[in-house]
Amino acid sequence: MAASQDRLRLARYYERTVDVMLLTLIIFAVAGATIFVMSVTIGDWEFWADWKDRRYWPLAPVAALLVFPAGISAAFWQRFRLPISCTAVVLLYTVFRWVSSYINFHLFGGYPMSFVWPSVFIPLAIVIDCSLVITRSVFLTGLGGAFLWGLLVYPANWPLLAAFHEPLTYNGEMLTTADLMGFQYIRTGLPEYVRVVERSVLRTFGDAVTPLTAVFAGFVCTLVFYVSWIAGSLLNNQAWVKKV
Amino acid sequence: MSTTADTLVLEKESSVDARATRPVKINWGAFFKVIIGISLGYLAFRVYMQKYAFSVGLDSFEPEFAIYWMRLFYAQIVVAALTLIGVVVYLWQTRERSPTTVTAEVELSRYFKWITWLAAYTLVVFITGALGAESDAAWHQVVIRDTDFTPTHIELFYFCIPALIITGVGSFLYAKTRLPMHNDKVFVALGVAIGGPILIMPNVGYNEWGHTFFYAEEVFNASIHWGFSGLGLALLGLGGVIVHIVHRTTQLIDVVSARA
Repeated sequence: MAASQDRLRLARYYERTVDVMLLTLIIFAVAGATIFVMSVTIGDWEFWADWKDRRYWPLAPVAALLVFPAGISAAFWQRFRLPISCTAVVLLYTVFRWVSSYINFHLFGGYPMSFVWPSVFIPLAIVIDCSLVITRSVFLTGLGGAFLWGLLVYPANWPLLAAFHEPLTYNGEMLTTADLMGFQYIRTGLPEYVRVVERSVLRTFGDAVTPLTAVFAGFVCTLVFYVSWIAGSLLNNQAWVKKV
Repeated sequence: MSTTADTLVLEKESSVDARATRPVKINWGAFFKVIIGISLGYLAFRVYMQKYAFSVGLDSFEPEFAIYWMRLFYAQIVVAALTLIGVVVYLWQTRERSPTTVTAEVELSRYFKWITWLAAYTLVVFITGALGAESDAAWHQVVIRDTDFTPTHIELFYFCIPALIITGVGSFLYAKTRLPMHNDKVFVALGVAIGGPILIMPNVGYNEWGHTFFYAEEVFNASIHWGFSGLGLALLGLGGVIVHIVHRTTQLIDVVSARA
């Protein structure tokens, strides 16, 4: 009896050791990979307050960020039945994005934190994980949770963003507070002519820009969720080849 | 019996008292030393960069740049090349020559060592992706003129990415040369998770070439950077690697604990 308990204790010790070591590995990998891919895919919408517009910021970053949470969810849901990975990935991303913004853009580059703060995505990730728990269906989670992930990014960030969208008059021109900050804090690699904000045509719906973008973002995110989930599932398959 | 050094340690331990000593070697000291060592190495570089990037690093044609930055660059290249050669030669020379006779205890010990290798690799991924890349993003927005070499490129392309290659190749080779399951075949998810980020180095060539000839600005979400994105997405393969480790170690733990 005592011997079998010793064996059980030994097995638990090894299992916990594997868990702790892998957790360290997962934290490094997820934070590093997510921040890197976001930076080089849609970086400027996350870096700068004056890029957080009504047309592209609620669409591009929110769709790009979903790739890792959805891909990793495939492993954690299919293999371990853990519906926490979206929230965990986005939490790690958010914490270390703040660290990176502070170290790199504030301490090293000299920009104020109020100009380089990252967006808020954590509530959206909770919605996806809750959808997975409630429905226990990947299809319905994509349809509902991922759609809400895209749809709700603007309201989730509004408390932070509102002050930066206040209109003001400067040298006879009307612009937002964020625009003015962008002009004051000069970015030599990012001239105004390459800033991708509010680009539209004359027939654009004037007041409905944000809701239209939100619905479109929801649609795109549903597709991104499915594609990323499939990619994650394929990579989680224990496939081997004889030669590379 | 298997013939590498860790087997001998194991036999020595088990010959003393199999019950008193655990049959599997878990080297927490090495695990923490690797993490702390890599972190301190990057911290030292970062402090140096904070002090000398803007004071003597703005123009690679200045004599001060040659003293403070180019010497560092040459030293990094030499150290990285020698380290890579050393790691490859060591892992190959000390490879398991009899993989079919490796016991479950030895294999489980090696999985713990392999996780240490992967922890080193993912820590470098974190430093490269989260800290190195964005320091370069900040740098490009502050300097007036870009030159052939910059402090952040010496940090990112010639310090972080070589470290990524060394730890990635080391992780891959450790599995190939020590773990019986990996001995005569290649695990696809591992190949993707390590091969993708390593290809970032050649993609740097395209990035710099493009910035020189057709894209002068540094908009980070410009399509010229999307090669990096695609290669970074390969890290999704680590999900498969983690599933593999959990699956295999669970099997080994059952065997080892039953024999204990």
